[in-house]
Amino acid sequence: MANISGNAYALTVLSPIKNGCIGDSSYQISYADEVQSRLHGLGVCEDSPLAKVPQTYLARFFILDDVFLESTPGCDSFCNLWDILSIFKERFRLLALPREDHLKSRYLVFSSNFHGDLESYLRGMWSAVSADIKHIWEHCVAFDRVQDVEGFIAYIKRCQLTANLFFNGSTDDPLEEQLKALYLKQQFVKFAVSHQGLGAAELQDAFRAFIGRVQPNQLATPTWRPGQSIP
Amino acid sequence: MSNIAGKAYAMNVITPIRWYMAWINRLIFLIAYRTPSTLRGLITLSLIHYARWVIIDRWKFPHLDPSQPKEDLHYSYMLFFSNFNGSWDQYVDSFTFAIPAGLDLFWKKNVRYPKSVPLTPFHDYIRHNQIDTDHYYNAYPLASSNDVKSAKHLKKKLIAFERAVRDAGPEEFLTKYHALLVEVQYDLGDMQPAPIVSLAAQAVDARRLLDAQRLLDAQGRR
Amino acid sequence: MTQQLDLPDIQGNIIRAYGRFGFPKARFFFLKINDGDSGRDFVGTITKRVTTSVSWGPPPKGVIPKPKAPINIAFTYNGLKALGLPRASLAGFPEEFAMGMKARKEILGDDGPSAPERWDKVWQKHEDVHVALAINGQTPEEKEQPPLKYVEEAYQWVMSQIDASGGGVVLLTGHRGDEGQDDLPFQDASLLYDKSGNIMAKEHFGYTDGIGDPVFEGQITEEYRVVGRGKLTREGGWARLETGEFLLGHPDEAHEYPPAPPPTLLSRNGTFMVYRKLHQNVASFERLLDAHAESFSGDRELLAAKLSGRWRDNGAPIAHTPDAASKAEWDKLFYAAIAAKDERTVDKMLADFRFDLMGYKCPIGAHIRRINPRGSLEFGQDGAYNTPGALDDRRRILRRGLPYGVVRDPVSDDGNHGVIFMALNTSIERQFEFVQQQWINYANDSKEGSDKDVLLGNHSDPNGACPSKMVTHADPKSGRPPYFVNKIPRLVETRGGDYFFIPSMTALRMIAGGKVDPT
Repeated sequence: MANISGNAYALTVLSPIKNGCIGDSSYQISYADEVQSRLHGLGVCEDSPLAKVPQTYLARFFILDDVFLESTPGCDSFCNLWDILSIFKERFRLLALPREDHLKSRYLVFSSNFHGDLESYLRGMWSAVSADIKHIWEHCVAFDRVQDVEGFIAYIKRCQLTANLFFNGSTDDPLEEQLKALYLKQQFVKFAVSHQGLGAAELQDAFRAFIGRVQPNQLATPTWRPGQSIP
Repeated sequence: MSNIAGKAYAMNVITPIRWYMAWINRLIFLIAYRTPSTLRGLITLSLIHYARWVIIDRWKFPHLDPSQPKEDLHYSYMLFFSNFNGSWDQYVDSFTFAIPAGLDLFWKKNVRYPKSVPLTPFHDYIRHNQIDTDHYYNAYPLASSNDVKSAKHLKKKLIAFERAVRDAGPEEFLTKYHALLVEVQYDLGDMQPAPIVSLAAQAVDARRLLDAQRLLDAQGRR
Repeated sequence: MTQQLDLPDIQGNIIRAYGRFGFPKARFFFLKINDGDSGRDFVGTITKRVTTSVSWGPPPKGVIPKPKAPINIAFTYNGLKALGLPRASLAGFPEEFAMGMKARKEILGDDGPSAPERWDKVWQKHEDVHVALAINGQTPEEKEQPPLKYVEEAYQWVMSQIDASGGGVVLLTGHRGDEGQDDLPFQDASLLYDKSGNIMAKEHFGYTDGIGDPVFEGQITEEYRVVGRGKLTREGGWARLETGEFLLGHPDEAHEYPPAPPPTLLSRNGTFMVYRKLHQNVASFERLLDAHAESFSGDRELLAAKLSGRWRDNGAPIAHTPDAASKAEWDKLFYAAIAAKDERTVDKMLADFRFDLMGYKCPIGAHIRRINPRGSLEFGQDGAYNTPGALDDRRRILRRGLPYGVVRDPVSDDGNHGVIFMALNTSIERQFEFVQQQWINYANDSKEGSDKDVLLGNHSDPNGACPSKMVTHADPKSGRPPYFVNKIPRLVETRGGDYFFIPSMTALRMIAGGKVDPT
């Protein structure tokens, strides 16, 4: 199924946001703008709430306000029916212009690339950051009925879209594997470059010490933290 | 709000397709899904972590409650999400230069799609239909897609090597160590912070860091 | 060739690299325009003596005799503004050009020793740099005559025009000199000479420079020079690059006209120039070679060749000559061809090569491989891209500079010597800045992470937290491991420069006449 590439999963969620606004006589804001403001206020990199959600490779939120009117140039079309008919009647020329579509609600879009299956991911997400989830999704349609993890999973599934093509240009390993591998790469490069040219015995001792320090088989530590932005 | 997290850029593009033409795109994606060799150009470019295309039929926007008005659209829509390395310009440029036929295939029948060559109309089309990201998270901002892939290879080789030399004498160790270096010699790039893809983004980031520092200082003083 | 260029309309330094055509000397100087009217008059006068791209020599092939000292002129954004270009035209210039090179320092990596605060004084008040004048010069045949005779004559002529403006146009001083002065009125440059006084096409690190200059449609040059310098075709041959990569107003590699400021006559046949004064730390470079030569288990010159991609002595591409033995063979054929005056073979030997995918011969991070990958970014996946060089073709630049100064004290990095780097392209951001930022100071595209170009990279303190390194790849059959050239110090420091627009002759006349009007 197209959401999956090996062990990697592409989750695409469109959650309709309530129409209307909140606030009082001195300050009003639409629900969607409030959601957007909350998104802008989230911490970034290692401080993002998504850093606490297990197995998240890369994920994003944005507000889909409306679709765009394609007021961009038309292009040559061999034997386009409207092109030919429009020679005869103006109506066809007008019909050929792009239509103006409008969404009736604004949507909170959540797109996540992660390792594993959907339910485990959502359980992990609820368990780690349910307060942030409520903070972000609070003003979405029907989210007030989400009281627990089961409700959350059901809700997400109702909002989920299926990808037609999921392109994995990276790996599908568990996040811990990816982070540990990056950590080891960083450490080993330093080791290899700085220990160049050493004699066999000295190098072997240094290598043993290196392995003892970096623990290649221990995924938990030492390793890169999710979202780590400082080398 | 930022489209950038470390070395990754989050691109979101939404484009209309005539609903009676969308089956063509679905077919193309299905073929690409079944025949990975069609994506050889994308794979060789190696700039992407993960990307996806999602076609939403015009009547399939999630509808959760009677209180929510039902959508009434002329077109179906295609969503494109990409997580890639480098600047927006470099990404869009490399698509146009390297795999123009592939792009034309994926965006076929999207309303007013101008074809990927020449460049400027294609740039404009993507920009016109792009939505900015409000929150972007990257588990490894310091690593490009190439770094993640090469790290996987290096880890595998390093662990196998360590196991193989546990009981070796120094001379055998050295020989095998040299062989290891040869095996991972393409995985040894440094991982430093990304080149500045945008002076604007850099300025926003600098202010954010300054604000964070001020906050820390204020907390420290209390 | 599908293109006939309007040669009399194009300034001569775009079509020709004067250094290759018997002009070993150059002088660069910069002016400020205080008064628009005087500025336009000045431009009008200079334009009458600006050298174009017409053929030199006796008719019928030549149009004019070969000039003794070609003069060319270019302007910064502020200069065009001072000359009274309308706002609508100014707004059509690209952002990076309007900002100027100094403001782009984070993108270019001009930090630490290359930071603008350390640049020559003439660049400190960036808004004042308006006009760039370049005089290239032949040296007199007679040995007793001063070598700069023709340059001086042309320079004095220009100075007299400046004087005649009564302060409307002034010369900016502030170039660093050989004796530690910081206030000189111009920057001289010159090809280097060997001990016998013969010209060498080398720069101060000892490498032969400028072999790979691109060849484009409409440029008058021998057809055989397209090999190795143009763009790769799917069949593995070479073709000329589209004119629009280097000249505005002509189709480029993206099948369109490069974005250009209106009106058409202002931009057509013009181009943008990047001028950068780069000081070279020759002593540090030699010490780097010393530090690594022993353990590199190759000879010092082989190491130098691995860093650059060409051997220092004669520019032999290491792709064909990966070791001393193959180099010796290559040398025999090369010098024989030179002796026989067989230019085609000499050129083919220097320019016709591709890089080996695995980097055993030419390391992936070698200088010439970074700046012109020659199709290696397709990673051997034949057919993955439109053409093997699809990612390279729009990142090429014309090189038009010369070395400056002489190394006086080989033991110290101090001194006044380096390269006046001049790059010509139709998009500074897409061509020069991209290569500088993504391929010189970074290497993700070639899968080498943040590793930098040894020669040009903005390396941090070699004894600090993140010293630079380069991997020289090892063939498994050799039985040796890859060699890491580590603790690379900064070898090149930016000492100044800016972004300029080189207008066509038509545009110059329009600017001089105050007639630029994009309505």
